[in-house]
Amino acid sequence: MMSLRLRLSLTLGAAFALIWALAAAWMLSDLRNQMMFSLDQRLVASARMVAGLMEQLPPVPSKGEGTHFSAEQLNIPGGMACQVSSLRGEILARSHSDPGQTLEAEKMGFHDQIIDGAPWRSFTLARGDLRITTADRQIEREALNMSILLAASVPVGVALLGCLCLLWLGIGQGLAPLNRMRDALMRRSADSLEPLQVQPLPSELQPLLDTQNQLFQRIGKTIERERRLTGDAAHELRSPLTAIKTHLQVARMTEGAARDQSLAWAEEGADRLHRTLEQLLLLARVEGSLSFDDGVQCSAEQVAKLAIQDAAGGDRERIRFEVPARFSQAPVQMPAVLSIAALRNLLDNALRHTPGEGPVELSLQTTGDRVQFLVRDHGPGIAEDDLQHLTQRFWRNGQSTGCGLGLAIVQAIVQRCGCTLRFDSRPDGLRVELTMPLQPI
Amino acid sequence: MHVLVCEDDELIASGIVAGLTAQGLTVEHVATASAARAMLKVAEFDVMVLDLGLPDEDGLKLLQQLRHNGLELPVLILTARDSVTDRVDGLQAGADDYLLKPFDLRELAARLHTLLRRVAGRSVNLIEHGALTYDPSSRETTLAGQPVDLSRREQSLLQALLHNRGRVLSTEQLKDSVYGFNDELESNALNVHIHHLRRKLGNGIVETVRGLGYRLGPADGGEQHK
Repeated sequence: MMSLRLRLSLTLGAAFALIWALAAAWMLSDLRNQMMFSLDQRLVASARMVAGLMEQLPPVPSKGEGTHFSAEQLNIPGGMACQVSSLRGEILARSHSDPGQTLEAEKMGFHDQIIDGAPWRSFTLARGDLRITTADRQIEREALNMSILLAASVPVGVALLGCLCLLWLGIGQGLAPLNRMRDALMRRSADSLEPLQVQPLPSELQPLLDTQNQLFQRIGKTIERERRLTGDAAHELRSPLTAIKTHLQVARMTEGAARDQSLAWAEEGADRLHRTLEQLLLLARVEGSLSFDDGVQCSAEQVAKLAIQDAAGGDRERIRFEVPARFSQAPVQMPAVLSIAALRNLLDNALRHTPGEGPVELSLQTTGDRVQFLVRDHGPGIAEDDLQHLTQRFWRNGQSTGCGLGLAIVQAIVQRCGCTLRFDSRPDGLRVELTMPLQPI
Repeated sequence: MHVLVCEDDELIASGIVAGLTAQGLTVEHVATASAARAMLKVAEFDVMVLDLGLPDEDGLKLLQQLRHNGLELPVLILTARDSVTDRVDGLQAGADDYLLKPFDLRELAARLHTLLRRVAGRSVNLIEHGALTYDPSSRETTLAGQPVDLSRREQSLLQALLHNRGRVLSTEQLKDSVYGFNDELESNALNVHIHHLRRKLGNGIVETVRGLGYRLGPADGGEQHK
């Protein structure tokens, strides 16, 4: 696409030139009419003057030959012809000697005629028995017209050109901030996220620059977060892998009980890698746009029971489950997989942070169209400052053996399915309240 | 060689400890930066293996601070972070080497030997002492060209003496190097190993400095007592 400057200059220049040309044409045609009128007036004035002169002259002898007055004698301006004839058509006097040139004097007033192939304009005046005809050549009128046209159009043309030049320069000047912005953008490397600095900038462009810089800032933050996340993911995956590899190598170097111990540890590492991978995949799927809806509908009680099964494994008796006597059987309004995964992760977490074989409590409650799951552990609780980190990916509380993704997944599910999540940490344990929407019955 | 391993992941740490011990190194393990500081105060180490993701403090900060306090111990960083920035940061903080997880235990041991060699200013891995040569990575000892069979403890003892040429090592220091902290130890165990070493390599290999401890004998000591 054509540059903005060229486009603006061409459009404005064309409009400018057109208006000026129309104005000039109007003016010139006016000028031409005025000039023609003046020249006609000159013919009239000359004819009247000749008539006045003729009256002062002695009567002309009626000779067949006719007398010639010189143009000087009759004081006729140069380039004009003058002829005095009788009513009968006899030429008494004329200002030019060529006998072939006889001016038509039949009609009074202005008259265009062709004499010897050249167009003339004539004026005939009757005075007594004389007819006085003055005439000038059309070609001379045109030459005069042309020179006036030329004299008038040169300054107009020069002015127009000057205007166009100024227009070009002015538009260039006006678009300078845009150019500065373009240059600043072109100087940047493609992956630079530094804010754009262009000063000074007109008020129309300032919002553009501000929006742009805000966008850069946001992209920068996103990239930084993703970079940290991939770094964390690499760390989380490499650590169990390292454990596996190291212990396998140790197993090769040793024998007997030490070897069995190493193999057991390697297996533990493999389990950890498996857990981390599963959780990472689940998180990616929850945060992505994949559909989890498999048509299975679970009531809150079923969700709780399945989650307990998934979380506790062997020691199911550690989880104390309480359901009110009259409890809604309405299914939860979210994919069963996600509701179970969220609750399982909460239970997992509670089991992990309750020391020894201490119990974890899970209770249900419905309020209106929502069901509330309350998970309570008997661990040491968590510091007020750390509450904000709880749902952060790969954040672990102290020496926790979890993969650091459980609560991040719960948070992602909460955001996706319109649930709510609340933590309440007390010295005698952490209470987590998760609510899910219920389907209206 | 006495190695301090600072790694918070118990599973990995147990692997490193078992693997390095199996390769003849004496290893102490700590899981936190504060434990590492405490350990460095009470015992002598030849090299440190440092994981960057410690729970109580960033490993790089710990290293920077230790270097600032004048620690000259060679340090090898272990990390799962592989970006160039991370590596440059690590080396700038004062690390001597950098190993990315997952790693090979033999490579880890080889690099630790190389670090020690570099500190000692040797260009080849072989340590020579008169007619005695000792290769820390293959743990082969020869005397006058003939291979000598040494137990793991004897090797550690010999290595500690060779690495501290001219210095007197107290009984405690030698015990640290040979047994580490974890092994329960009979009071005369060190004497037994010194006795064996003298028997295999000649009496002059270990000099007793009365009241202070032991040191490596002169280079031709072995010859004189043959």
